[in-house]
Amino acid sequence: MAGFSSFSLFLQVFINGIFLGCMYGVAALGLSLIFGSMQIIFLAQGAVMILAAYCIYWIVTLTSIDPFFGFLLIIPVFLGFGWVIYKGLFQRVAKAGKNPSLLLAFGLMVLFEHLMSLIWTPNTRSVATNYSTSAFGLWDINISVTRFIVSIVALITTGIVFLFLKRTMVGKAVRGVSEDMQAAALLGISPNWISSVTFAIGIALAGIAGVATCITYAFDPYFGFLFSLKALIAVAFGGLGSVAGALLGGITLGVLESLSSYIISAGWADAVAYAAFLLILVFRPEGLIGRRSAQRA
Amino acid sequence: MLLLFFLVYPLLVNVETSYMVYFFYTTFIYVALSQGWNLVAGYAGQVSLGQHAFFGIGCYVTAITWRAGWAGYFDPLGMFMSGMGAALVAVVIGWPLLAKLRGDYFSLGTLGLGEILRVIALRGGRFTEGAEGIGLPSSAYLSMSYYYYIALLIVIITLVSLWFLTHSNIGLALIAIREDETAAAANGINTLKYKILAFAVGAFITALCGSLDAYYTFHVHAGGAFNLNWIIIPILMTILGGVGTFWGPILGAFILATIFEMTNIWMPELHPIFSAAFIVLVTLFLPDGLISYLTGYKHQILQRLFFLNGYFKRGKERRGFKNMRSQN
Amino acid sequence: MVDHLLQVRNVDIFYGDAQAVWNVSFHVDERKIIALLGANGAGKSTLLNTISGFLKPKHGEILFSGKSIVKLKPEQVVSLGISHVPEGRRLFSRLTVLENLELGAYPSNTRPYLKESLDRAFNLFPILKERKNQSAGTLSGGEQQMVAIARALMARPVLLMLDEPSLGLAPLFVSLLFETIQAMNEEGVTILLVEQNVHQSLEIAKYAYVLQTGTLKMEGWGEELINNSDFQQAFLGMRG
Repeated sequence: MAGFSSFSLFLQVFINGIFLGCMYGVAALGLSLIFGSMQIIFLAQGAVMILAAYCIYWIVTLTSIDPFFGFLLIIPVFLGFGWVIYKGLFQRVAKAGKNPSLLLAFGLMVLFEHLMSLIWTPNTRSVATNYSTSAFGLWDINISVTRFIVSIVALITTGIVFLFLKRTMVGKAVRGVSEDMQAAALLGISPNWISSVTFAIGIALAGIAGVATCITYAFDPYFGFLFSLKALIAVAFGGLGSVAGALLGGITLGVLESLSSYIISAGWADAVAYAAFLLILVFRPEGLIGRRSAQRA
Repeated sequence: MLLLFFLVYPLLVNVETSYMVYFFYTTFIYVALSQGWNLVAGYAGQVSLGQHAFFGIGCYVTAITWRAGWAGYFDPLGMFMSGMGAALVAVVIGWPLLAKLRGDYFSLGTLGLGEILRVIALRGGRFTEGAEGIGLPSSAYLSMSYYYYIALLIVIITLVSLWFLTHSNIGLALIAIREDETAAAANGINTLKYKILAFAVGAFITALCGSLDAYYTFHVHAGGAFNLNWIIIPILMTILGGVGTFWGPILGAFILATIFEMTNIWMPELHPIFSAAFIVLVTLFLPDGLISYLTGYKHQILQRLFFLNGYFKRGKERRGFKNMRSQN
Repeated sequence: MVDHLLQVRNVDIFYGDAQAVWNVSFHVDERKIIALLGANGAGKSTLLNTISGFLKPKHGEILFSGKSIVKLKPEQVVSLGISHVPEGRRLFSRLTVLENLELGAYPSNTRPYLKESLDRAFNLFPILKERKNQSAGTLSGGEQQMVAIARALMARPVLLMLDEPSLGLAPLFVSLLFETIQAMNEEGVTILLVEQNVHQSLEIAKYAYVLQTGTLKMEGWGEELINNSDFQQAFLGMRG
């Protein structure tokens, strides 16, 4: 336990990492789903997240309702939002190939960032509640109430997505399409319909991650890009296409960051995460727990 | 013809106050940046999202070598070292990335590269002077015409090397890799070698622009040097003009630079939103780029305009096709 | 004109600028087994992909039960009752056998019969019942082919198109496969069989069309073809 004055301090840092990682996990899950349907990394995932964060910030500031109600509100709205983006933009661009789709995602990211900066100013915001600072003790560790609830929400969300993919016909079709779009079409599955469903769910997951973020962390319009990168690193850790992998990858990343920012310094946590990302991409592209090769042509 | 115009133009106006000279200067830099990306993404098919990392390296190497006294103001050695530094990083990082990763994974790896270098520059202590950045002696400033001509020189170097790279066996290998990497490898092409080569040359060109920018701003800081604009705008210009074409990025750079300058003058606060909306519109409506619409005689006019005669091109192409046939 | 189940009329098919199929016509009658023979690159798979809607013919017409299907998307063609088992099986290797089969019954008009269709599939291929919870990628080649055919049957097709089902299978499996094809046909499924395995195909097929480099070279009843000297030269000789 180099650098830690006590085991409980280590545990505290570790637990904080898990909380952070749960959020990465939800965003990573969305990224992984969208990758399955369109074979592109949706770079705007983080910007969409921050968009959700600002929506909640707005609602809470204007109406002073509890931010946790935001989850109920954001999910249907962002499902619809994702649907519209897919139908209006990606379905059309996907025909031109993968690179235009990737660039479109890039363009959307920049567009969202600057729109948010225009509407809500580039200042850092956070959503405060009267229980934001409350915490409960467990042995020697302080556990923040909001972070705890947010992590539970993340776990439940992951569970629901898992069941959706495993148990429902549409969920199975989503997995089928992500593996072989043409074969799926030969079975009467419309790849466009499935892709729009997948995309909508991916965006809704970004929304959930965004609500979680705004409750627990401060954010600004440009925070999202870093979060996209983090979600991506989490996906690489967990292996593409695995629901449990996305969550576990997110948690691994959260713990890694939390520990390295404590041991080295906060500014270097990103560099450590990126270095780990490169190492994993190169030596275990199928992810730490995945089993399929990530090298797709 | 156009080259002649660009060569003479600064002599006809007051260089220091002319807005057009400044406009051409920035446009030249964008042409070079666009072609740097075009080589990697358009010809070799490796969509790098990390060119801003190389731009930043160019800025920092120039600033640090100048500060250390190894190279001076407008020192060819300083610029060369900037380019080589970036090329070196491109090889070191590109090796594992290009060997192991295809498609998006490569894009992501490179995208992260810029972020990580920005963090390192911010945390680099006295070496990079953190968030403050490195200030350079602005008293050294000579004349805008130096900047103009050096930018023009970078463009010429870029275009000439791009021309020779793409009209040689290397270009054929790169295109083969872009079209079907597995098949290219099966035909005995050392795909990794060519991909790294393209990545390194692209990095070199990009870093030259960064180096020039350092001389221009006299202040190198992480937020500016590793700004995402250094990758977004060139990509946009290349796509608008036509990815994987020689003339497309040039055309795209001139058109977009004009539009950006105009919006910047008329509605500066909306500029980034406008650019982003433009990316979205271009990918929606012009995924193949403008150049694909300019066929036949229009294309030839464009070539004449940019002063490269058709004979040269046809000769080279004939050789290229022969090579392609003998390789099959 | 007689009403054929599937009628392909004078189709020209292109991949970009390159023409792959020239003016091909053939038809498949209900409850028959029809073979489409030819060497690699003759255009057989191209034709199947066009019938299932992945490719659009530049000229010509494709009628199914008298209605044109050229404008339909692949997923719409399936709902009409045409199932296509593609070359190389194309299973969802990460999904279990059972999940693969369930997806076969995805179209809304076949989903109510899911249970029934599953029983039928397991009846036809009892081994799949034992393997149902295994992921499809872990099966042997022969078993994978069974899953592919069973999956296509889940959509309760009127016409089943099989693209090179015997490719890469052990001889024992090949015989079994052809027996199964015959059994399915006896249950009332019309079959369009694309094969390079000429002998065995002609044993079960009533009628065959022979393609060569994108054009229809000959057609005839199984016996006729086997005794035709041109055919012998083009296929049997070359392959023997």
